[in-house]
Amino acid sequence: MNMVATPAMIALEGAGRVFHRADGGRVVAVQEVSLAVAEGEFVCVVGPSGCGKSTLLQMIAGLLAPTAGLLSVGGAPVAGPGPDRGVVFQKDSVFPWMRAIDNVAYGLRCRGVGRAERRAVAARYLDAVGLGHVAEAWPRELSGGMLKRVAVATVFANGARVLLLDEPFGALDYVTKRQLHEVLLALWAEGGTGARRTVMFVTHDVDEALTLADRIVVMNAGRVVEDIAVRAPRPRDTDALLRPEMVAHKHLLLRHLGLERLARPGTAP
Amino acid sequence: MPIGWPVPPPNEAGTAPSRGGAGAAWWRIDPLAPAGYALLLLIWQGLSLVVPAFSLPSPLSVLARLREDFFAAPDLAFYGLDNASLFNSMIYTGENVLVAVVVGGTLGALAGLVTGRSAVLRALLDPVMMTAGTVPILVAAPFLLIWFGVGRASSVLLVTFYVAVILYLAAQRASDNLEPIYEDAARTLGARDWAVLRDVVLPGTVPEILGGLRIALAGAWGLEAIAELLGAQRGIGKVIEVLAGATEVRGILACLLLLGFVAVGFDALAGAAFARLSVWNQRARIGGAA
Repeated sequence: MNMVATPAMIALEGAGRVFHRADGGRVVAVQEVSLAVAEGEFVCVVGPSGCGKSTLLQMIAGLLAPTAGLLSVGGAPVAGPGPDRGVVFQKDSVFPWMRAIDNVAYGLRCRGVGRAERRAVAARYLDAVGLGHVAEAWPRELSGGMLKRVAVATVFANGARVLLLDEPFGALDYVTKRQLHEVLLALWAEGGTGARRTVMFVTHDVDEALTLADRIVVMNAGRVVEDIAVRAPRPRDTDALLRPEMVAHKHLLLRHLGLERLARPGTAP
Repeated sequence: MPIGWPVPPPNEAGTAPSRGGAGAAWWRIDPLAPAGYALLLLIWQGLSLVVPAFSLPSPLSVLARLREDFFAAPDLAFYGLDNASLFNSMIYTGENVLVAVVVGGTLGALAGLVTGRSAVLRALLDPVMMTAGTVPILVAAPFLLIWFGVGRASSVLLVTFYVAVILYLAAQRASDNLEPIYEDAARTLGARDWAVLRDVVLPGTVPEILGGLRIALAGAWGLEAIAELLGAQRGIGKVIEVLAGATEVRGILACLLLLGFVAVGFDALAGAAFARLSVWNQRARIGGAA
């Protein structure tokens, strides 16, 4: 485990979630998950499809109540969604009835920030994600990649200290995905090391996790089965991903995903 | 991918996408529409040449009758309708329709939105509304006449009920079709109940509700006229009833023409409001995409 001295920003103790199917069957999506994420840490949650990683994120977001255990964020127990935890969803969540800039400013509007001020903040974040030129566009006029940029700008503009991203770039093409990694890391690093936000990023893409994370948590069948610290410096280019310890991480992750039998190359079968 | 709106996405690094068109497009007329009217007039004119005038007067003579009786119609006084002109009869009918559309539309839409979000209320209200929507509303007219007499109340209630049922179903379907992710997103950004209603539920359901309102409005004119025909002391329907008793085909056609003009005019207004309030929605575009 990755032990930290500072109090955890996200703390889970024995968290679990059981779903009841319409036919009366029980589905255990998450069970006995205990996890502590330090402030400013960038954690990727990796696991095969259906392992409970999205359910875990939704519980931390407060959109899904746990059926067991304790969850707290910033020291306070999670009771419903709130602006202290920004969420970027897998599906598109940009409001089609608001212009791009009004979408980005929406969280500030909910907190009573004046129109001029919130639009100035929104314009700054739209610029940061490279969408300054389409601030007044309607979402239907934007591509899938641009909508994701709007969603990322929205959570950063809202100032949440904790960001929860649920396979946000899963449906995007390779080039767009790589561009958005840079955008995300640049925004995460803004304001210096001390101001970094806490990120929990769910993905099934091993390379994405290795590119982004300080720490990779692997889930399988609702449980945490591995917790890997990734210490390679950023930015991590193609060569960085070829360093021996990164390759070893990758083999380990692929083995957890059932794609490799061997833990390390060179081990005799 | 974006949900639902099949617009070819602009180039990621491209120029600012074109917009506009949707707001100003409502008045664009399909060139074939006037041709359709012209064809109808031509057939009417042709038939009126072979059919006796008391059965089918020509379009021009009907238009002349409409002009003659517009502000004063002494003939109608002869049939027992004092001080009735086509204009003030139409105003009476129009007032009833607008009151019914506003009241019925508001109640129906609110009930539909509430039941779209509350399973308990939905279970209670759905059977009633479904039954009401299945039974032809017109059969309630005699009953309403017994209870409320031949004044405004009977016809207004009938039309109110009709509009409310349509808007109930439209608003409920709109609420069902609204992706729950928008409310989730709003709440994670800090929206409370009131903000969710104002910024998510209302804007997200407006296009479908307005679509329902337009259908209800179109039907409301006819229903109000029929309700007046069955029992009223004033209104364009009453005028038609009186003229029908005297087999005054020219007068009846003049009334129908006026009713048609007014209904089409209001539909155009509703269409304009619809396009204005749904400018963000591709489906609201009328008359070709920009």
